[in-house]
Amino acid sequence: MTRRRLAAATAFLAVVALAALAPFLLGPYLVGVALDLLMWIALAESWILLSGMTGYISLGHAVFFGTGGYVMVLAWGVLPFWLVVPLGGLVAGLLALAIGYPCLRVRGPYFVILTFGVAEFAKFVVVAIEAGLGKAGRLMFGAPSLDELYFVMLALAAAAFVIADCVRRSRFGAGLRAIREDEDAAETIGVPTTRFKILAYTLSAIIPGMVGTVMVLRSTYFEPLQVFDPLISFTIVTMAIIGGSDGAPGPLMGAVFLVSLSELLWANLPEVYMILLGALLVGFVLGAPDGIHGWIRARLARRGA
Amino acid sequence: MDSLLSGQLLVATLVVGALYALVALGLNLIYGTMRLLNIAHGDLVMLGAYVSYWGFSLASVSPLVSMFVAMALSALLGMAIYVVLVRRALHSTALVARIEANSLLIFFGVSVILQNTAALLFTANPRAYAYLDQVIRIGDAAISANRLVVLVVALVVCVAAILYLRLSMTGLAIRALIQERDAARLAGIEPERIHLLSFALGFAMAALAGSLISMIQQVSPFMGFPFTIAAFVIIILGGLGNLMGSLIGGFLLAAIETYGVALTSASFRSILIYGVFIAVLVWRPQGLFGGARVAR
Amino acid sequence: MHRKSIVTFMALAGLVLAGLAQAAEPVRIGFSLSKTGMFANATPSQLNVYELWKEQVNAAGGLDVAGERRPIEFVSYDDQSNTGNAVKIYEKLITDDKVDLLLAPWGTPFHFAVAAVLERHKFPMIGNSAASVQLREIKPGYIWFPTSAIPDKIAEEMGKLLSSRGVKTVAVTNLQLPFSLEIKQFLMPVLERAGIKVVVDEAYPPGIKDMTAILIKVKNAKPDAVLSLSYPPDSVLYMMTARELGIDAPFQFVLIGPTIDFFAKMFGPAADGIVTVGHWSPHQKAWPKAKPFFDAYVAKFNTRPDYLDSALAYMSVEILEQAVAKAGLDKEKLRRVIASTTFDTINGPVRFDGVQNATTPTMFLQLQAGEAQIVWPPDQATAEIMRKPAWPAQ
Repeated sequence: MTRRRLAAATAFLAVVALAALAPFLLGPYLVGVALDLLMWIALAESWILLSGMTGYISLGHAVFFGTGGYVMVLAWGVLPFWLVVPLGGLVAGLLALAIGYPCLRVRGPYFVILTFGVAEFAKFVVVAIEAGLGKAGRLMFGAPSLDELYFVMLALAAAAFVIADCVRRSRFGAGLRAIREDEDAAETIGVPTTRFKILAYTLSAIIPGMVGTVMVLRSTYFEPLQVFDPLISFTIVTMAIIGGSDGAPGPLMGAVFLVSLSELLWANLPEVYMILLGALLVGFVLGAPDGIHGWIRARLARRGA
Repeated sequence: MDSLLSGQLLVATLVVGALYALVALGLNLIYGTMRLLNIAHGDLVMLGAYVSYWGFSLASVSPLVSMFVAMALSALLGMAIYVVLVRRALHSTALVARIEANSLLIFFGVSVILQNTAALLFTANPRAYAYLDQVIRIGDAAISANRLVVLVVALVVCVAAILYLRLSMTGLAIRALIQERDAARLAGIEPERIHLLSFALGFAMAALAGSLISMIQQVSPFMGFPFTIAAFVIIILGGLGNLMGSLIGGFLLAAIETYGVALTSASFRSILIYGVFIAVLVWRPQGLFGGARVAR
Repeated sequence: MHRKSIVTFMALAGLVLAGLAQAAEPVRIGFSLSKTGMFANATPSQLNVYELWKEQVNAAGGLDVAGERRPIEFVSYDDQSNTGNAVKIYEKLITDDKVDLLLAPWGTPFHFAVAAVLERHKFPMIGNSAASVQLREIKPGYIWFPTSAIPDKIAEEMGKLLSSRGVKTVAVTNLQLPFSLEIKQFLMPVLERAGIKVVVDEAYPPGIKDMTAILIKVKNAKPDAVLSLSYPPDSVLYMMTARELGIDAPFQFVLIGPTIDFFAKMFGPAADGIVTVGHWSPHQKAWPKAKPFFDAYVAKFNTRPDYLDSALAYMSVEILEQAVAKAGLDKEKLRRVIASTTFDTINGPVRFDGVQNATTPTMFLQLQAGEAQIVWPPDQATAEIMRKPAWPAQ
């Protein structure tokens, strides 16, 4: 391992250790904010595995989040929490595998809207199932404490970051990027495009599934429309693009940026903060098209680092 | 079974389909010519609806008159957004490379701004008014006068738009740009002017839909999103850039909403719609009538 | 004693006291509402009530806190229609902003989400716009629900109402969202026990754009009653389509919508005769505070209050006001007072048994000549229930 990588790994571990101290140092409100931040990091880092690396933009990633959440809802009281979290990831991964093959034949904007359609389809299936089971919203008492949820989410976010980084540096990642540059050319030079795409899609679903199992316990009350909310998908895309979708640091920066900005604006300018947020989003995209990470890299390159 | 053949279901399909098609057509123009994912499209519908609502409530102006105002205002807004935001994006190579992802974000920002400005100015109270709500009989079907107006206006505008694009020189230029961007340039077509026009037209059509909708639905700042979703599903279903495809797609979706429900059960309505959408795309990845080449 | 110095002393004391009264520290009351997002169009009816109440109380000299009058100040946030945000916000209000009192958010899911926070911090709050039988599963202690529009009671009373109107056949259409789903669940066995036949039973998901197919079935079945368990968007679809098709069942019920101001503006006389849930009407003479509230709301906002949500919101603040007057701001004292007092509200007397309102019966409203009248149960009625007239032709 080069010195640079060693330094980076040390820095990463230090950040994780620092983050682990949060429940002991901060009040419940800030821990809640930190929990949300970790959730977005985990989701966005997983999202780029397919969408950042191959350019197949998934606009329906909430489907994995929601699937995980529903698994937790169904298993609540029946299976222990520690078992359901990985189970949710497994189910989400299987779902991605199942829909990956037919869906990844579709390209460009067609794929974008197709993934959205898949998420909506899943949402309405769950609505129908719940109605059929006679469940009008579910109360979930006895959820783990905020601190417990926080530590699980920290683990998930760290894992997602590491996975994104490893994929980026691997031959698998190189193959994915080749697909992004020119899929047909990649196919010609021997990249197993279909296999890689499906693998990336499946990988990108597992952690969001687990994140879903955890977050559904945050608000005691489950209702399908909330966990399959398109806004979740849009926010993931927003953070990954603002931060930069070409490597692990990007989504992390995007999530930190957006969450910090929201907290700042929301507390101080409640009436107009959404408008300002929208304006800043627009300004950002125009000013830094490769995201924060890309902008930083460009700066460093210019300085001849 | 004879309810399936009733005129009533047919009329309902036509109304819903025409409205869907009108909203989708505007979006397709913008997407087709510039590859921009305008997810603020539904919010333009919202703005049009508010123009007509306020026109009627404050000044008793019929929506059939205020719709022209709505269209004009929206077209102006579209041109402003084009000049201030989009042109910059299209000229920057970095942005154009990922134009879809970046446009998604830009218009997401625009959408958030539009929705929340409306909420700030008008409050989120749902608003409605009664206009032309008498029931008219046509054969064995009955329809509210306002829904009939929606059907007729939407249909006429859709057909006019398609004819315009097929027959006029500008229309031809737009279609050339949609089909083959670079070759169109070689043929001497100025993309700038076409882009501006597409934006203005697309935005105007959305606002028109909004004015019509204000007669038959309550108006509120966050009402636009379902229309955005429907529009995207339709343009993808029908094939990007193919305007006739959007028209057909709109009526197809409406038919599922009515006949699909009549044949199965109302509880499957959304599952059917999205199920058909997914099935069509898996079978034909460029949509029903999309070109074989999908320019990236 | 020197009279002059006594007088001077009294005068000075008086001035100081007056000064203290003027500078009375405000009571900070916190809450969050969905000002943006998918529920944003449902919350103004509640937010307006909170604002109206604050204005009224401050105009009268301030909130009576166990004898001392202090002005009210709001600390409010937007939860963006997200229950997770609501949880965060109420935690912030309690631990960070350290507010003195809390008001409720809007909607059942939000009340459930916040209940856990209240329990953890032992902070009492009076709910309002929540209605589910699952409310009873919340441990009593820090949250109360003044509504009587609870699904199982609604189903029960509907059975009685329909029987009293001689209804033999009914068509039920319902939206697949919690409130309407719950009511339907309880309704089916009630109807069966009452010997009423369900001739159409259609459920539909949120977001439908057309109800023609469903209502053609309803029309063909010619039921004595139609129950449209719908939320505002589909309630509008119901009204438009039922009118087009000319559904002439003498009893037509629309779950959510008729109590909202835009409904009357959109349908005018076509809405007359529609029955809906609600337990408040400004026309109830037995509740002297009802009409003044109605008038004050109209005067300030130029629109009518929501007969259900706005009434509940105002009841919750009335209860809070009366409780604080007795118990001050001490949380445990407040809790005991709220749990044991009978309050006098615009909806009559309200007393809690556990988390629920034990005094207000479940009622139904009917729109008559554009006004919401209580038509069931007979002993609470402000007007007699009428047959739904034919849809207006022109």
